[in-house]
Formats: sequence, C-alpha cells, structure tokens
Amino acid sequence: MSQPSAGSSGPATGARLRERLQAARLYLVSDDATPAARLPLVLEAAIAGGVDIFQLRRKGVEPEELRQLAVQCRDICHERGVLFIVDDWVDLARDCGADGVHLGQTDMPLEEARRRLGDEALIGRSTHNREQVVEAMAHRADYVSAGPIHQTPTKPGRPAVGFEHVAVAARRTEVPVVAIGGLGPQEARLALESGADMVAVVRAICSADHPQEAASRFRDAMREAQTWPWIFINGVPRKCRPGEHLGELAAALELDGAGVVVEVNGSIPARESWALVELRAGDRLEVVHFVGGGSGD
Amino acid sequence: MWEVARVTEDDALRLGGVSLGSRLIHGTGKFSSAAVLREAIRASGAQMITLAVRRLHLDGDRRSELEGIDLTSYTLLPNTAGATSAQEAVRLARLARAAGLSDFIKVEVVGEPETLLPDPIETLTATAQLVKEGFTVMPYASDDVALALRLAEAGAAAVMPGAAPIGSTLGVLNAHNLRLIIAKCPVPVIVDAGLAAPSDAARVMEWGAAGVLVNTGIARAGDPVAMARAFSAAVAAGRVAHRAGLAEEAHARASSPTEGIPSALVRP
Repeated sequence: MSQPSAGSSGPATGARLRERLQAARLYLVSDDATPAARLPLVLEAAIAGGVDIFQLRRKGVEPEELRQLAVQCRDICHERGVLFIVDDWVDLARDCGADGVHLGQTDMPLEEARRRLGDEALIGRSTHNREQVVEAMAHRADYVSAGPIHQTPTKPGRPAVGFEHVAVAARRTEVPVVAIGGLGPQEARLALESGADMVAVVRAICSADHPQEAASRFRDAMREAQTWPWIFINGVPRKCRPGEHLGELAAALELDGAGVVVEVNGSIPARESWALVELRAGDRLEVVHFVGGGSGD
Repeated sequence: MWEVARVTEDDALRLGGVSLGSRLIHGTGKFSSAAVLREAIRASGAQMITLAVRRLHLDGDRRSELEGIDLTSYTLLPNTAGATSAQEAVRLARLARAAGLSDFIKVEVVGEPETLLPDPIETLTATAQLVKEGFTVMPYASDDVALALRLAEAGAAAVMPGAAPIGSTLGVLNAHNLRLIIAKCPVPVIVDAGLAAPSDAARVMEWGAAGVLVNTGIARAGDPVAMARAFSAAVAAGRVAHRAGLAEEAHARASSPTEGIPSALVRP
C-alpha cells in the first residue's frame, strides 16, 4: 500500500477533501522561475496571505529533486491546512501523500489516474472548451480549471479563452471551476463574477517581492465578488448568472429547442414568459421532453 | 392483402374531438432503433401514438427514438409512466401538455413496482383531476368492471384495461372480465398491455373493444415492421367481425343441409 495521504484517518477523507476544495478561493501554482530553494519560503508567505490550495508544478527537473520538493511542500501545506496538489505526476502524488493531482489535456487519462489514486484523491483537469468540461465531468473530475483567460508565458502558444469559457464551464459542472491565466486581483474578482469558484495564480504571487501581500490583495479583491447562485436542474446542482432569467439560462444551456418543457419550483411557465422568471438560489428546475414509450417505467 | 386494414369512414374511432381511422394505437418504447420505430408506425397505419415524458440530458446526446418522426402528423397520447401517485401523474400530464402538442393523456399510475399493475385509487384520483383541468383522459386500469365504470363516471374519454401486465406477452388473461367491461362501460374501451399476438388483438376487437394499444408485441417481434402490419390487419379484421355480428351456437349443428343426402349414403 502506498503512503497514506495526510488526514486519511477514515472513510470520510475524500468527502472532507472535497468540502475543503468547495470552500477554497485562492489556488497557488508554482512557477518554474522560482528557484527550488526559494519555493518553500514563497509558499509559506503565500499561505499566510490567504492561499487555500497549492499545486506543485515543475517542468524539467530530476524525479528525485521533484520528490524532495514535493515532500517539503506537502509538509508546509498540511501543517497549515492547505490542500496540496501535484501537477501531472500521478505516481508522485500518490507516493508523497498529496491530496490530489492536476492533469492537463495531454496528461494521463482521468480513468487511469483515478485507478492509480483511488476514490479519495482529488483530481483536477485543465479545460479550454465546453467539450473538455463535459468530458472531465463524465470522468468524475473533482474540479476543472478554465483558461488561460489571457495568454501567459507559463503556457506559451496556448490561445486565450477569456472569461467566456469560465462561464461556460460554470454552467456545465457541479464541481469547482478554477479560473487561470494571467489574472491580477481585480480580474480575480471578475473571474468569480463570471462563474468561477476559485482563482489560480502563478506569477502574480510567485514572482512578487512580497508573496504574502500579493496573496492577500487577491483575497481582498475576491471578497467583494458577487458569486453565482446554485440552482438544481433535473436534480443536478448547477450555477446560473446572478439575476438571470429563465430565457437566458435556457439559451445558454440550449434548453430552448422545440418540445422542451421547463418546470420551475413545480409550476410551468409558458415559453413566452420565460424572460419574466428570475432565477434564485435553490430554485428547482425540471427540463423534460418526449421520448419513446408505451407503458411502464 | 392488407386492404382489409382500411376501416370505413363511418366507423372511425372518435375520441376527444379527433377521429381515428385506425383503431390500433402504437406504442413507441423498446424499439431497436429510430428507423425501425418509424417504419413500424408507418406499416401499422396507426394515427395515434403513445409517448413518455422524461428529463432532457443536459450534456451529451439529446436525441431520442422519436428523432425523424413528424409528431404533428399523429394524434399524440403522452403517458404518465413513471408515476406512482395521482400527484405525480398530474404533474407529468401538465408537463406533457405544456409541450403544446396534445391535450390527450394516458393516465398510468403504477401501484406495485414488480408487476407494474396499476393503482386503481390513484388512477381514479388522477383521472378526475385531469378531467377537471380539461385534458382528454384515457386511464390505463386493471381489468375491473366497477373501476371501469367509476373512471367513465369521472369523465374518462376512454378506459384502457390491461389484458396482462405491462411489458409482458401473456395475452388476454381474464377474457371474462374484459368482455364484461366492454359490455358495461359507457365510454370506448381500449385494451392495453400484454397483447402479444395479432390474434389477441383480433379477439378483443371481436368482442367489441373500441381499439387496442400495442407496444411490446410489435417492438420485440422478430420483424417489428411486419408485425405492425399483422396487428393492423388483425385489429381491422376483429373490428369488421364485431360489426358483422359473431355467430353464436351452443350446440353442434351441421353446417351442410341435412335434406337431400343421396340414399346410398343413408344407413338403413
């Protein structure tokens, strides 16, 4: 058996990790430009500034060097109640007792990572379009990242997807959406208002002269954000834009096809009046259509 | 040879303001593909088809087996399948009507999950409520005479007693009850569920059923399209036979004249 992850003292570990993931707002990702010797200091300062989840991302290092760094970061995170995620290296994540792994689109398939890590571990997935979000959900990702919002030197050559993709991802998942890609504090707030649950930051904290202050600036800016309310569609939790009406939601989720009927909290508004139905947190929507059937279930 | 399947104009089945030339109602569940379903309906000549109401998949494939069928060219009979209470049936009926394609509703309230037999009390409650709301209500019911009368009294446009449990191919299990319902019920009786063979359909039509609903018997046949055609012919034959009046004789009586038999053949 592999080394247990921190806090694995019962069957509820996975549930506790997911609870903490739900509550997280600021996600720090390490920067290749930060020397390995300095990284623990940056991490400690950033955590003091309000980081709730940290991803160790390191390209082009020796496995042993990476392992040592991972153990160091894991200890710092776990002593301070911060989630610790390893980028790409699934076996390292398992062996060093990380809380989970983050997988890019070209990394290991989610099923294989899940098989190696078990049900408890958190698995995050980078997404750049709607299909990738749907695919990540189908394979039980625990969170998805949406980005890059802007083009960044961290991912050279990857086209920016803007806040639009954040909103698309927010509408298609019930797991946290992490906005990433060259965001500053004010944009972090915009990201949350576009439907993100968390903002991931690389350079703006790692390369800052004072990582703690940089992190707390993000925290402060995000505190004011008006986040998206949760509703239920066909029994599944989904987010919608604050103040959105049923017509907008239906258009965004393509629920406005012929023969589709929507029930909101037990009553059925006529399609002509969908624009008058303002959605509120906790609303329960049923979206139905005709299918083949004779009798029975 | 299928010309017999045409019903004469004056013998159309009238239900809730529509006039159906075919007395075969076609179910649309359990077909192997949308293409087979489409061809089977066409072959059956049915003008009324049943549908179910289900959640739309939010992501991924939203197509259903109804893809490619022009729903506006049929009278639609949505059902409340999946309901286990009057309340759920009423809710499904309202959702079905809100699609804007039909005011008909086949009330179906399963009372027992393993046999799928209907709950008579919830069925009656839902029927009464939906009649009040202006639906054309056709409740699926157990083969009980008193219940059929109560459903008719509640305003059902037709009563649909089951020949056998839903999805089974057991045929007519209680011929006597079905015949009594057909004889007593003041509204059209459409026999639903369990009709496996065209002969089952012909039989109940001969007794005077106003129509039949067939799904599994066609959908699960070796060749559903050919079976749809066979059911169509059987329903029409049974109907014509009913209208013609069945000969009834309790005792043996020769069909050939008893007079003029050549003497050589007569025993001394």
